[in-house]
Amino acid sequence: MRADAAVAWQIARKDALAELRGRSAVGSTLFFAALVLLLFGFALGPDSRRLTEAAPGLLWLAIVFGGLLTVSRLHQLEADDGALEELARYPVERHAIYAGKALAGFGAMVVLGAVLLPIVALLYGIDLAGAWAPLTATLLLGALGFAAVGTFYAGVTVRMRAREVMLPLLMLPVIAPLLLASVKATAAALGADPFDGFWSWLQLLAAFDVVMLVAGGLTYGQLLDE
Amino acid sequence: MPQTTIYAAPRTPPPAVATHELARLFGRNAALAGVSLRVDRGRLIALRGPNGAGKTTLLRILATSLRPSFGTAYVDGVDVAARPDAVRARVAYLGHANGLYDDLTAEENLSFAARLLGMTDAAEVAEAVSRVLTEVGLEADATRRVRGFSAGMRRRLALGRLLLRIPSLILLDEPHAALDADGQALVDRLLATWHERGATVLVASHQSERVARQADGWARLDGGLLTDVGGEGVAAGESMIPAAAPLTTPVAADR
Repeated sequence: MRADAAVAWQIARKDALAELRGRSAVGSTLFFAALVLLLFGFALGPDSRRLTEAAPGLLWLAIVFGGLLTVSRLHQLEADDGALEELARYPVERHAIYAGKALAGFGAMVVLGAVLLPIVALLYGIDLAGAWAPLTATLLLGALGFAAVGTFYAGVTVRMRAREVMLPLLMLPVIAPLLLASVKATAAALGADPFDGFWSWLQLLAAFDVVMLVAGGLTYGQLLDE
Repeated sequence: MPQTTIYAAPRTPPPAVATHELARLFGRNAALAGVSLRVDRGRLIALRGPNGAGKTTLLRILATSLRPSFGTAYVDGVDVAARPDAVRARVAYLGHANGLYDDLTAEENLSFAARLLGMTDAAEVAEAVSRVLTEVGLEADATRRVRGFSAGMRRRLALGRLLLRIPSLILLDEPHAALDADGQALVDRLLATWHERGATVLVASHQSERVARQADGWARLDGGLLTDVGGEGVAAGESMIPAAAPLTTPVAADR
């Protein structure tokens, strides 16, 4: 167990290093996600009530767009120069490899969410004071579920020629419950009573995460073999 | 009372590599079409054959990167398809691709590999990485990102990754590719070192004369079939299929 955790940490650390050094990719993802928020802000106009109502959905829309690019890129690192095949040949447990890739995806998603949340607050005139704790919990659980599913499907599509098209096509139907729960939990957190209905959605998110992490850990190894 | 002496039956260790009717299909094409081969422990064996002969496919199956479609393959008596985890701990493989991360430095690439190979102590990792970088002549480039490396430097670094441990079976697919004269001499030195240390080495190289100078024996593949073996430490299996028509058209190039 400790050895598996060490392997997962090494893989996540390596992915984070590579991601940070490929700064243009990080920058373009953040810019793209922020642009989505900005354009919708303009489209919705200055009506503060409409902006507040739309904010949770648009925040998660931007996170999903940015997240799709991120999880795809984390696997693309492995596809270059046969590194995925090399990674699969190390004498380590396959679920540890999955955990490492998912941890890297989770970290990237949390950073993305943490950058986008203040942008949403700024553009849509939302007061985040008092909602930090429920928003953070929603962001963490939403990011974890997205990374769990995204890592698996990025592994499915990494050897495909049309992987950029196939990844969202395969993944988005599966994460529909996650998106619904994340948007509802975010809306509840930003509402007058931050905890009205919030816990139900948070429980759904937690259950989704557990199921997807277990399923991914059990099946990801099959994707590494040809 | 007469004493009874019980003699233990001599236990012969299994061969380093044993395949039986090993076949691998890619779609309708047979890249390997029933290869039965035995390689004894501690031998350096050259795999010969033209492009598309099935050399890479055979090496990748032994390295657990490909599953066999039919037949069996054993490494040190361990079934490659049934217990790939146990085989991975015994095998080191250098394929056509180098398997490096462009945005990491040479040092970081080797450290990552060392950690995944089970080294946990930071000082041990640092010492191993430094030793390997010196051995492959990249000590001056330790902190440079691999993205800026030439093809030959990348090949040296990939070769260096094999030196982080001494596995019982080393599989090399075109190890001389992209290397200059010094680099090719490095491969020769590494082959000699592994051989001296008792590791079994299978080398597929188009520099067949160069490898033949060091090899104990050789096996020739053609069209996915094992057509001939020679020298010491290598034998065709009992059910070697003669060089007849392959099951289907062989693939144009190894995958």
